[in-house]
Amino acid sequence: MKVSLFITCLSDAIYPKVGEAMVRLLAAHGIQLDFPPVQTCCGQPSYNSGYWDETRTAARTILKAFQSSDFVVSPSGSCTYMIHHYPELFKDEPEYLALAHELESKTYEFTQFLVKVLGITDIGAAFPYKVTYHPSCHGSRLLGIKDEPIALLNHVQGLELVPLPFAEDCCGFGGTFAVKMADISGAMVTEKVDHIKETEAQVLVGLDMACLMNIAGNLRHRGEQVRVMHLAELLYEGVNIR
Amino acid sequence: MNPASSTHGTVKERADIALNDDFLRNAVRFTTDRLRSGKKVASTEHGNWEEWRERGRQIRLHTIAHLDYYLNLFVENARSNGVHVHFADNAVEATDIVMTIARQKEAQSVIKSKSMVSEEVHINQALELSGIEAIESDLGEYIIQLAGEGPSHIVIPAIHKNRYQIAELLSEDAGETLEPDTTILAGYVRRKLRQKFLEADIGMTGCNFAIAETGSMVLFENEGNARMVTTVPKTQITLMGMERIVPSWADLEVMATLLPRSATGQRLTMYMSGITGPKRTVDADGPEEMHIIIVDNGRSQQLGDPEFQELLNCIRCGACLNVCPVYRQIGGHSYGGTYSGPIGAVLTPALNKNVAEWDDIAGASSLCGACYEACPVKIPLHDMLVSLRRRKVERGHGDKLEALGMKGFATLMANSKRFALAMRLGKIAQKPFVHNSGIHLKLGPLKGWNTYRVAPTLASHSFRDQWKELSAETAAQPKTIDPAVRQRMEQVLADRQHSKSTSRTGGESHE
Amino acid sequence: MSNTNQPFSAKPPVVPNPESSHLTPDHEQHDSSQADWLDELEQKSKAKQQTFMNHIADRLQRPRIQEAPQHPFRGAPEIWQDFNWNEAEKIEKFTKHFTEVGGNVLRMQTLEEAGAFIAEQSRLLNAQYIVRQQLPETEALTLEARLPHVQISAWNSHTEEAWKARAAEADIGIVLADGAAAYTGTVMVTSSASQGRSVSLLPTVCIVLLPIERLQTRLGELLIPWDSKGRENLPAGIHFISGPSRSSDIENELTIGVHGPGIVYTLLIG
Repeated sequence: MKVSLFITCLSDAIYPKVGEAMVRLLAAHGIQLDFPPVQTCCGQPSYNSGYWDETRTAARTILKAFQSSDFVVSPSGSCTYMIHHYPELFKDEPEYLALAHELESKTYEFTQFLVKVLGITDIGAAFPYKVTYHPSCHGSRLLGIKDEPIALLNHVQGLELVPLPFAEDCCGFGGTFAVKMADISGAMVTEKVDHIKETEAQVLVGLDMACLMNIAGNLRHRGEQVRVMHLAELLYEGVNIR
Repeated sequence: MNPASSTHGTVKERADIALNDDFLRNAVRFTTDRLRSGKKVASTEHGNWEEWRERGRQIRLHTIAHLDYYLNLFVENARSNGVHVHFADNAVEATDIVMTIARQKEAQSVIKSKSMVSEEVHINQALELSGIEAIESDLGEYIIQLAGEGPSHIVIPAIHKNRYQIAELLSEDAGETLEPDTTILAGYVRRKLRQKFLEADIGMTGCNFAIAETGSMVLFENEGNARMVTTVPKTQITLMGMERIVPSWADLEVMATLLPRSATGQRLTMYMSGITGPKRTVDADGPEEMHIIIVDNGRSQQLGDPEFQELLNCIRCGACLNVCPVYRQIGGHSYGGTYSGPIGAVLTPALNKNVAEWDDIAGASSLCGACYEACPVKIPLHDMLVSLRRRKVERGHGDKLEALGMKGFATLMANSKRFALAMRLGKIAQKPFVHNSGIHLKLGPLKGWNTYRVAPTLASHSFRDQWKELSAETAAQPKTIDPAVRQRMEQVLADRQHSKSTSRTGGESHE
Repeated sequence: MSNTNQPFSAKPPVVPNPESSHLTPDHEQHDSSQADWLDELEQKSKAKQQTFMNHIADRLQRPRIQEAPQHPFRGAPEIWQDFNWNEAEKIEKFTKHFTEVGGNVLRMQTLEEAGAFIAEQSRLLNAQYIVRQQLPETEALTLEARLPHVQISAWNSHTEEAWKARAAEADIGIVLADGAAAYTGTVMVTSSASQGRSVSLLPTVCIVLLPIERLQTRLGELLIPWDSKGRENLPAGIHFISGPSRSSDIENELTIGVHGPGIVYTLLIG
């Protein structure tokens, strides 16, 4: 069975450690991830702004990359969700349309894959810190990822999970929104960080580097010491600690 | 006139004013938190909320898909009940009909209960211009009428005003100083409007729902002013959006369950009134003459449009406003039109033919989907916002610089080798701007970002540059997969094959 | 029609002159021009109706639908129809829900007991004027006998009275509920010749007499019957009241009794 990594352009360019954590964690469970290099970007930035031709250009690399994969795993709920727009994007291109339907049925966000497909909730990690969790919007609302990350975190030894006030409120990233409506986005991420500070957590964990990049940026801007990690990174570090 | 409520300028400009208004932001937060948690409690208490949402959605979809039948049925039945029914394609026609009736009645005053459609068609302006007094009787609407402003929330229109501002407005209205105490202020309005109710020539209402099978109209309210407006004046005029139909009283039960719980967290509003025609000959109260004006004003535009027809499902509960993280920061006036929040961001451009003027508000969203999740009739507002953005680009109204940027993005992402090269080059190019492992530069597109953040740097080695080494390392000491895990994976594959042969499948999606 | 004799520029008085209710020649002429005007509007409207509906069908890219379509999801989900409380539960829940929002609920064995209670409240409130629906049930309260010094009117008992103004002056309005739903804490009152909508709306206090056998579980039990009564048999006003008038429009602070009655009692009789 071929399990492929859909790295996402953000993780590829800025946060390769997230991809590395996924590869190593799955390897430890006997799953060798495959990385088709043809992939570039799912096309979300252009899609959300209404530039669908440009989106198709990027999306074709994704469709081509995973043609022969049995499972596709991604460290991002929003990029995984983007695949669900592909049938509509390629409704006039029969070959790509077929690939789109196919890809939609076999792509999983990382925690979905671990918990729902592999049936793993205890990865054997220890991480004795106070942690708070931000559920990214697309993953939680549109892919329905609610229990999986909590189940994984609850099985991490020594981890104190504190609830984040207004956790379900958007962090304000929204892609180009953060640049085009910078002040509104700024107000949103400022409030998100205010709530994180309220928890007095040492670590903020999440499932989507876009959100985490946004939040981390504001934390740094305000001189806060909270560590920002993708759940894959936290689990990997937790496994190595042991 | 509050500059933030003007329709001039861009949404960004209006939002900037709002973002600097601490009182407004706190008021919006307080109000939406209260309403949002009210809805959570009420919907949880009721139970099976998802099932009821789907039911509500199906009823609305069905009605809209057969609107010619049900609306026509409503009209025939309403007429048989003695109602005078009129049709208005647009705001001008609606206003003309109202003015015709008002002139015939030699009306000097019109007292109104809450009607978003009446604000949409700017009926108050038309009445005032003709020397007819137009009085809002809903407490919040009365307050903003005195202030000369539009509503900043669909359900609670005056949340942007504090008690001192309200006391000032009402004191001026009263000609005496009133204490900034809620009971005193509300008591004044009650006394003042009592007189107005009894003297008014015409009562004007909106319409929450219109029941096709009996020609009845239904009003939901808490204050009692809509009941007053439909009981006391001799002539009643109701403005009704053409999509406000439900087939039967049985269907009304579903709406009556979804609407109050979603809007304010109530089991039911204090008053729900079903009005079937004017007063009977033997009745001693109720209007002698009743008019219903059915308003299109851009609604029929949405019919037959697969991306926007569902917009007509809306039951105007305001739940989307209460969960929207953008509305939370900028309040209702930033949206510029009659309707605000997520529903406003779609409705205003959709109803207006002059798309270019209005479609910048579709940009005031991070597409988080909270509105869709909260909507009791499951309108995919987050998808509609993207559709609006796409149409703007297709019509050639997109930002030129952004279009250029997107072309660049596409060129880059068309080819993985190009992308890999760009990452390597970017890593070098960023060096002068990196400080303390972050980029603080506030230039060009980074200005907006770095006003509130420190931007990250490109990694010293991209993932794909590390892949060869990483995969070799992990492949060198392979672990065996747990048989149970392997079996699960094989089962998933088998299930997938099976459903492929039976029907189209999707991964976990929001449907 | 009692105001048409007033000069155009004068503001109508709060209490319309009862003598002006009979017809005069001016009045008749106005009536017929009024009728012409309404006819004209109706002709225009009927013509427009076709265009309007055709446009809808056009937009939906299909011909007009003339027959009732299948409506598989009519009303509440099927499981909901089976949701029913017994009498004790209905009373308990109705009381809980109605009082939670600021209403008052009391059990009375008989209408006589209710009459005594109302008379007591009237004295406590120092009520000057009471208006009641003209029904045997409100008659049986014998308020006229209990409160000889209070002005008590039965709705519409004299056709030349200005009943709306009467109700507006009243301290207490007494109505009979046609039904109630425990799930939402709601009473239903309807309009008729002897039942004015104003009686439960304009006075400061509203007292609702609810015979216990009329208390149902679900709101739907009150709504669904209207689908089969026949359009022409529906009253002009069907009102569902779930508590006192309220608003949170000023800084989200709750205030009771904004336009409708601020004090509401439901007396469960039986």
